[in-house]
Amino acid sequence: MAQDVKLSAEAAPRWALVVDLDRCTGCQACVVACHAENNVPVAGEKQALYGRWMHWIIIHRYWEGEYPNVKARFMPVMCQQCTEAPCEPVCPVFATYHNPEGLNAQIYNRCIGTRFCGSACPYKVRTFNWFRPEFPGPLTEQLNPDVTVRSRGIMEKCTFCIQRIRRVEIEARAEEREVADGEIQPACVQTCPPGALIFGDLNDPDSRASQLARSHRSFRLLEELGTAPAVIYLKGGEANV
Amino acid sequence: MSDTLTLMALFHGGTDTAEAIDALHALGIPDDKVLVITGVPYPELALGRRREWLTLPYIVLAGAGVGLLFGLFLAAITPHLYRLDVGGHPPVGFPPAAVITFVFTMMATIVSTFLGVLWEMDFPRFGPAPYHRLVTDGDLAVLLEFPAELEAAVRQALEARHAHHVAEPERVGL
Amino acid sequence: MSEPDRSTPFDERLLLAERTDQEINQAVLRPMIQTGWGFWALVTVLGAIVAWGLYAWGYLVYWGIGVTGKNRPVYWTLFITTFVFWVGISHAGTMISAVLRIFKADWRRPITRGAEAMTAFALMMAGLYPLIHLGRVWKFYWMIPYPNNRLMWPNFQSPLMWDLVAIFTYLIGSMLYLYLALIPDMAMARDHTAGWRYRLYRALALGWRGTEAEWHKLHRALGIFSVAIIPIFLSVHSIVSWDFAVTIQPRWHSTIFAPYFVIGAVYSGLAALASILVIVRRGMRLQEFLRAEHFDALGKLVMVAGMAWTYFWFSGFIVEWYGNEPVVRELIREEVSGHLAPLFYLQMSANLIPIGLLVFKRVRTTPALLLAATLLVNVGMYTERALIVIGSLQRNHLPFNWGLYRPTWVEVSIVAMTFAGFTLLYTLFSRIIPFVPVWEIKEGRLRYTLRRIGRLLVPTAAEIE
Repeated sequence: MAQDVKLSAEAAPRWALVVDLDRCTGCQACVVACHAENNVPVAGEKQALYGRWMHWIIIHRYWEGEYPNVKARFMPVMCQQCTEAPCEPVCPVFATYHNPEGLNAQIYNRCIGTRFCGSACPYKVRTFNWFRPEFPGPLTEQLNPDVTVRSRGIMEKCTFCIQRIRRVEIEARAEEREVADGEIQPACVQTCPPGALIFGDLNDPDSRASQLARSHRSFRLLEELGTAPAVIYLKGGEANV
Repeated sequence: MSDTLTLMALFHGGTDTAEAIDALHALGIPDDKVLVITGVPYPELALGRRREWLTLPYIVLAGAGVGLLFGLFLAAITPHLYRLDVGGHPPVGFPPAAVITFVFTMMATIVSTFLGVLWEMDFPRFGPAPYHRLVTDGDLAVLLEFPAELEAAVRQALEARHAHHVAEPERVGL
Repeated sequence: MSEPDRSTPFDERLLLAERTDQEINQAVLRPMIQTGWGFWALVTVLGAIVAWGLYAWGYLVYWGIGVTGKNRPVYWTLFITTFVFWVGISHAGTMISAVLRIFKADWRRPITRGAEAMTAFALMMAGLYPLIHLGRVWKFYWMIPYPNNRLMWPNFQSPLMWDLVAIFTYLIGSMLYLYLALIPDMAMARDHTAGWRYRLYRALALGWRGTEAEWHKLHRALGIFSVAIIPIFLSVHSIVSWDFAVTIQPRWHSTIFAPYFVIGAVYSGLAALASILVIVRRGMRLQEFLRAEHFDALGKLVMVAGMAWTYFWFSGFIVEWYGNEPVVRELIREEVSGHLAPLFYLQMSANLIPIGLLVFKRVRTTPALLLAATLLVNVGMYTERALIVIGSLQRNHLPFNWGLYRPTWVEVSIVAMTFAGFTLLYTLFSRIIPFVPVWEIKEGRLRYTLRRIGRLLVPTAAEIE
């Protein structure tokens, strides 16, 4: 929600995701978890080959070098929740805007599908519902009731699992305590086997995410474009072979 | 009170018409009792007529002003009515506001020009009016109102300049 | 006394022709009233294409945008390309009627109505595309600021909102301009027809008689319109170009886009106008009114616009090529020697060859050659728009996201629908509304006489109005 009333006088959190590329094995568990948590439809092989895959988080893979010295470089890329998002001002109906917690919010029921935001995003992380999403067979049993199922013609993207953020914030407020660091875990963060994804509050200097963001290994994707993303990548050694 | 007669005369050429109007002036018939109807726009003073003062430019300016204010409202006020932050931009930036204000100003200018000219011409005005169909075939029609006693002099002046079809004007349904 | 030297074939000049007003009226009205089987055949074929396109659109709305060839990253393809193309075509009308009216160029007189009609219909076709390309077209009205219970306003920072307002303004402006200049001719048609035509023209003539006051007011209004519509037409295509230039997509984020698009629009629109006039002249037997002098002047204007387009294209290209930014360099490589090369060379040849051809008076004054040259221009300009919209989107900052686009029958059908729709509207228009502005031609004839300068007899235009 745009207006989130806080009980305490503390400043609003600024959510960030840290991706440790030295730990990431490219197993794609985060991709599957995201599908399950956010009711993301499966596009099918033919559509995916044509560039219409629906993953909100995807493992970018690049091949480097010539045989036999070939290396695979991969990194998980999701919506970077840019502070100066190029996708936000171009939507004619305000279907995407920047909320006070630093998230790039996507309002599904406001989107009329002009796809301007998709063209404007330099990371191309926005997914469009080209058709009416189908959830065959028993997949309908595991749809998440906390997340809207989108119809055709709507843009969607990673939201840092805002439904999980809200649930923890509401519980914490009900129990009259602060949200603890590491209590909020988006689906990908929760699932990642080597623990390469860390979620936290950049406005809290003691959170694990803040500490990692200050690491000498940190960089941001396409930093030179000036989008000021809230996703911080860590890369130091030759961990990916 | 003396009777006034109304006549319509058709001429083939502009020079004839202008001379006839001069002759009518000499007979004492004022300009506002003479109406010239043409199928082609003649230059303003070619037929000896006075230039009319128009309110059209003021209507257009007023319309442009309304458009400017409306554009400013949409671009600069509505973002504050429902505040949504986008892309690191302030809610009201100069370039987008300038574009929107400009376009609405121009839209209002155009529409007010059109409506203004229709209002000024009293259009649409259907119903019978003095007219002759030969006007659109190139003839010039002069419609005049004058006191009845001048009739003979008027007719003579008109016929001397090759007027044809001098008669009571037909009220053609327009 | 020696015989005067006739160096120019001015007896072929429209404004010096020995015709009475009555003959001119009949020459204009006759092709409207007599329709042969060719007309009906054309209307049927065009109607069929439009109907098929509407079916394709319905299919698109029902099944979703996925039935087109769009994908990630090519989110915008033929619909936006054709949208930009139609907005471009619409610029010629204003160029001819407004700019040339201000310059008092008499060769515009028989052309203005055809040009303004082209503008109005091109904008109608262009205005369909922001609806067609929407994912949820049934919610399009959210872009309009209307009272709603959420008290929400649309985002006026978005170039699409600027598009909406600007195109609407231009459409209203050009239709009103077309109509205003039409009123005296409606009166003429009212006086010479019967039946349903009489009733229609009578309603549209608004009771026009032709009094001096009416002419004076009409002239003032047309004068104001001519001046006011120029900033509108300049801003419309600039705004359309900013749909692309305000993003940070490589090759789109270029400051030259606004003037480049405007000049491309003038080039493409004037060429389209020339093509249309050649065809209409033949189809409606208007050889009397559209003569060599008009095509000569129009051809020169197309040539000049083409030269200006080349200059702006090169200005954009040289800095992109020189800057060597990685993605831009890759895009240029794709155009010059990669997958897009056939389209790129088609664009350049189709845009540049006509400029060279139009240098020759022979080409400008032979209808068939002029038609060929100007059709080629529009092939080139359509390709140019496609390369800008589709070509640039295929590459971006992260190579994992590079893509390829293939059109589908849905997109092609809908594009064909707008071409057929434009032609259909134009054909119907030409049968209902007098194509040639008769009163403007008669007004022009008042200005022209023959004058003797030494041994020459020359046409002279009077400095009136």
